[in-house]
Amino acid sequence: MDKRVTLKIAKIIKETDTIKTFFFEHELGAKPGQFIMLTDFEGGEKPFSIADSNSQEFCITVKKVGEFTARLFTKKEGDYVSIRGPYGSSFFISAGNVLLVGGGYGTPPLYFLTKKLLENGAKVSVVNGAKTKDDLVFCDKFQKLELEYKNITQSGCLGRAGTSVDLACECLRRKKYDFIYAAGPEMMMKSLYPYLENYQFEFLFERYMKCAIGICGNCTIDPLGIRLCVEGPVLPKKIVDKLTEFGKYHRDATGKRVKF
Amino acid sequence: MPELKVDFLGKELNNPLVLPAGVMGMSYSGMEFSSKNGAGLITSKSLTLQARSGHKGPVVAEFEGGILNCMGLCNPGIINGLQEVDEFKKRSGNSVIVSVFATNSADFVILTRYVNKSHADFLELNLSCPNVFDEFGIPLAASGEEVYKIVKAVKKESKLPVIAKLSPNVYDIVAIAKAAKTAGADALCLINTVGPGMLIDTKMVKSVLFNKFGGLSGPCIKPIALKLIYQIYSAIDIPILGMGGVTTGEDAIQMLMAGANIVGVGTAVYKRGIEVFDKINIEIKEYMNQMGYANLQQIPKLKKIEN
Ligand SMILES: Cc1cc2nc3c(=O)[nH]c(=O)nc-3n(C[C@H](O)[C@H](O)[C@H](O)COP(=O)(O)OP(=O)(O)OC[C@H]3O[C@@H](n4cnc5c(N)ncnc54)[C@H](O)[C@@H]3O)c2cc1C
Ligand SMILES: Cc1cc2nc3c(=O)[nH]c(=O)nc-3n(C[C@H](O)[C@H](O)[C@H](O)COP(=O)(O)O)c2cc1C
Ligand code: FES
Repeated sequence: MDKRVTLKIAKIIKETDTIKTFFFEHELGAKPGQFIMLTDFEGGEKPFSIADSNSQEFCITVKKVGEFTARLFTKKEGDYVSIRGPYGSSFFISAGNVLLVGGGYGTPPLYFLTKKLLENGAKVSVVNGAKTKDDLVFCDKFQKLELEYKNITQSGCLGRAGTSVDLACECLRRKKYDFIYAAGPEMMMKSLYPYLENYQFEFLFERYMKCAIGICGNCTIDPLGIRLCVEGPVLPKKIVDKLTEFGKYHRDATGKRVKF
Repeated sequence: MPELKVDFLGKELNNPLVLPAGVMGMSYSGMEFSSKNGAGLITSKSLTLQARSGHKGPVVAEFEGGILNCMGLCNPGIINGLQEVDEFKKRSGNSVIVSVFATNSADFVILTRYVNKSHADFLELNLSCPNVFDEFGIPLAASGEEVYKIVKAVKKESKLPVIAKLSPNVYDIVAIAKAAKTAGADALCLINTVGPGMLIDTKMVKSVLFNKFGGLSGPCIKPIALKLIYQIYSAIDIPILGMGGVTTGEDAIQMLMAGANIVGVGTAVYKRGIEVFDKINIEIKEYMNQMGYANLQQIPKLKKIEN
């Protein structure tokens, strides 16, 4: 039952000034959309989505945002960290035409998903957006795969200014899609949501997690009370349609509601 | 069909299974989700006067016998917490215990006044959290005198029946239980987590929990829980909310036989999923069918220890 393993960081890739990918030589047996809890035993254990996983290795892509991630950024290849998982629900692997909408560090788990979709024979379109170039990741990785790929920044530093939702809407106008996936900031998914009324879709959500095993109740989502660490983090349309807190508020480490 | 309905301090519960404090009780929706999955009575997270974010992680660690936790009494504070409780009450017919935590009787009294103004059904005093030792020292439940003082002060103020939650980590739990009863406690809840204990990561040579120590829950504490419940049941006449490691219908029936009136199911939510309440209720009914018991009252209790 115990899913904890302590592993050496096998490889670190600097994606941008504030985003790094950490590789581990370990067969995690994860599915796209699932996450791990990671700690260095120095204070803090945090959830990270699996950006890729196979029988030899897996990786996570981390954005430096606060105390824990800043400390993680000081780690070197060969340093130990301890992980447990994989936890949570995973993406449905669709066939047909699929559109993946990524924002910031939400994009890496979509890379893992993309590989599984391609194996399943799906025709994949990916749109990847971020505030600035500094938050835009995995562009090269996606471009190496057999798929339609576009990226954009809000700052316009790569030419055009806009969001992945803008790109997604263009795709939806041009082509018929069988399934839509999105991962990124909640407000990105919130602004995409109105365009998806007639589509099947799944979103990857984030809520404050502590136990990750479904008992502490910190990651529940209103009004259903489902736990993002067990029934989520990937939620399908029929659930998202019912969420009253979607794009409105989430609960912090004390359980207090905080507005987006 | 055997009947699972049971009376607890004047409220009729649909079944004897209770969601204990600290498990899924952070939000109204978490409480409702647990209700819908068959919990007959819901307990809120232990609420304190001010919001607390709890200890840094890891806050849980798993081992063969159950889990260790050192959540550190994270909660949104009494005002926000009671809003969640009231919202739950508005949406659900189920009864709620509000659990509160403080370090002295004056603060417990203030918390009680807040709870009086809510739609809660019962008030539970968490006198026994083992995970905030560094901050608050020895749990109040370690001293019969302290327990008496607090329960007495709260009883004077409370409009709701008062449940005292006791710690197993004391020398003479019967003496503590008697102090609570003499002070006017309407019921007892036991046991809180055992220990605390620790686990070590052998590659990094660190305690797995960042707080180093954490309370044990789950299957490994069941025999301790049964023994303490049985001792108290034998010695004093008071309703008991029994808990500690209950994972199956068989475990729940053992709790009832040891003297519990109703039974908490916490850590098993992890082991068997949130559906654990429905599952255990079915298992209790199967046992009752097999033994020919029509209702819970017909399930026999152990013969009391004579002294
Ligand atoms: C299912 C899931 C998958 C995630 N995947 C990734 C990922 O692939 N890459 C990545 O960089 N980040 C990911 N995150 C977010 C990541 O967990 C936070 O960025 C990290 O915990 C920040 O910690 P900090 O101490 O550096 O920052 P802090 O200063 O503590 O917080 C910064 C932000 O992170 C959030 N956060 C802090 N602690 C937690 C926690 N325990 N659970 C959830 N959110 C928290 C805070 O709410 C705040 O918005 C994911 C979160 C969830 C819930
Ligand atoms: C994650 C977790 C958090 C808990 N938080 C509280 C709490 O806030 N207040 C309290 O009185 N007990 C708390 N407890 C103790 C439980 O209510 C219960 O007494 C104990 O876990 C034994 O039951 P179990 O083995 O069924 O889990 C907590 C237990 C766990 C596992
Ligand atoms: S993080 Fe504890 S229930 Fe999800």
